[in-house]
Amino acid sequence: MNKAVESTEEAKAPSIEKPHETPEGWEPNILAFACHYCAFAAADLAGVMRLSYSPNVKIIRLPCTGKLDQIYVLRAFEKGIDGVFVAG
Amino acid sequence: MITGEQKPFEEIWNMVKDFKKVLVFGCNTCVAICHAGGGKEAEILASLLRMKASEEGIAIEINHNAVERHCEPEFFQPVMEDIRTYDLILSTACGVGVNLLSENIGDIPVFPAINTEFFGAVPRAGEFTELCAGCGNCILHLTGGICPIARCSKSLLNGPCGGTNNGSCEVSPDIKCAWVLIYDRMKKLNKLDLMKEINEAKDWSKAQGPRNFKVKVLEEIKK
Amino acid sequence: MSFRDILDSGKFAVTAEIGPPKGTDIKEMYHHIEVLKGKIDVANVTDNQSAVMRISSLAVCKIVLDNGMEPVLQMTCRDRNRIGLQADLLGASVLGIHNVLCLTGDHVNAGDHKQAKSVYDVESVQLLKIVEGMNNGKDMSGNEMKGATNFYAGAVVTPEANPLEPQLVKFEKKVKAGAKFFQTQAIYDMEKFKSFMAYARKFPVKVLAGIVVLKSAGMANFMNKNVPGISVPQVLIDEIKAAGKEKALETGINIAARHIKQLKDEKICDGVHIMAIGMEDKVPMIMERAGLL
Repeated sequence: MNKAVESTEEAKAPSIEKPHETPEGWEPNILAFACHYCAFAAADLAGVMRLSYSPNVKIIRLPCTGKLDQIYVLRAFEKGIDGVFVAG
Repeated sequence: MITGEQKPFEEIWNMVKDFKKVLVFGCNTCVAICHAGGGKEAEILASLLRMKASEEGIAIEINHNAVERHCEPEFFQPVMEDIRTYDLILSTACGVGVNLLSENIGDIPVFPAINTEFFGAVPRAGEFTELCAGCGNCILHLTGGICPIARCSKSLLNGPCGGTNNGSCEVSPDIKCAWVLIYDRMKKLNKLDLMKEINEAKDWSKAQGPRNFKVKVLEEIKK
Repeated sequence: MSFRDILDSGKFAVTAEIGPPKGTDIKEMYHHIEVLKGKIDVANVTDNQSAVMRISSLAVCKIVLDNGMEPVLQMTCRDRNRIGLQADLLGASVLGIHNVLCLTGDHVNAGDHKQAKSVYDVESVQLLKIVEGMNNGKDMSGNEMKGATNFYAGAVVTPEANPLEPQLVKFEKKVKAGAKFFQTQAIYDMEKFKSFMAYARKFPVKVLAGIVVLKSAGMANFMNKNVPGISVPQVLIDEIKAAGKEKALETGINIAARHIKQLKDEKICDGVHIMAIGMEDKVPMIMERAGLL
């Protein structure tokens, strides 16, 4: 225990952009946290049904949205994600 | 337990913004229970501060850590070497922790990220309430186990003031009139006669700091 | 005749409030003193009433005295600790102020300096004991003083407090602690007040009923809703409403006068304490209509 720094990774992460005007044609980078039992299954089903959705949405499967933690959301934003979508 | 609430973010940011390497240092006991200053809150605060620094275009290295307690040196001694590499410790411990760490850390400033409030009970999860003010001179045996020092807005010792209002306090309808509670309790305990006795003015010398004491038995053993 | 002698003689006593202003312009206050002089028996000088900062009660008591009226020094425990309170009591005594009303004091939350640190080192019951001790030549710590005070000490009681029982426990403690007279919170229901007096008469104290003039039905409703211990019966509110807006104040004054007359004629209590709250000018009129002048 007692290693002082637990999160040097974040500390060295690329810094967040300063707020500026949205460039033409810009697409936000979205991270979706989806529950294994419903929303993630729905995403699976969408795939099976060959439904398409934007490639700028990345999905992370959680065993339950109850597993979501504030820090997951904050880390996502720190790493440059533009929006977080929680589904469950 | 000790309760506290995190300071407004802007106030914290203004404390931090001129430093280069900051450790948000949590305490995993009391202030973790009230969701103000545990390791988790320290981590969240560090993240928010990093984002704020980026937004402002200021380069600060901000990390976090936590130990189980800040009120006994044994708990933070093992990390002292590491934390001495920072130029600011932003403590999310109670004021006791900030003081004790300041005394032990040398020339590095230790700033408070929370407002320490009172020691209180947790009647329901997420609710904290002050029941004892630690006045150093307990009279709970005279007041049915209900403390008028902590629970009456005026710390009255001889009954309710004219502001008692259908069981509430004149200060706020959310505060129960301690003397109505005491009266009801004394009545139930069949001790109303005791309530009719005048309580003399309090010896406040016992309530004023700086206070300290030593365990007598340990002192004897040391001898 | 001093306040004490008036009450002891059995004469129906009338006191009214002088509210010290905020600031050094005391023209209006002088005017109030002039209006009340020779009409009322003593003037009660409030002490940072409602926790709003004003000229000190002690200074205004001295002005009242110099202008030929006997003052009652209201003293709250909110702003001074036991050292300050005793020092001011001694100060009052040497200035010739010998009536003191011992109060705990409204919480700072009610006033205009909400961030102030309340003192409440002692409270009303204990302050009464302090006064009694000083009258016997001793300070609170038991030290002999060079020269004792000679205070006539009073306190307040809220006859319509809800719940009433704890309030009465405190009333009895105040009697035990040396209160000789009581001023009540504003009362409007004569029957309820009579039953309170039936109880209070068991104690060797004088009681002055609190009178606050109703200026409008709205004021009555506001007090019913917001002021602890005040309850204006619906019949009075209806009476003011029936009189119409123009005559509301007039009706309120008549109600106050009627109550005072009843309190005196039926010997319900020993006097009245009129809290004019900005209507000091109207006090002589109320007294006239009550048959006191």
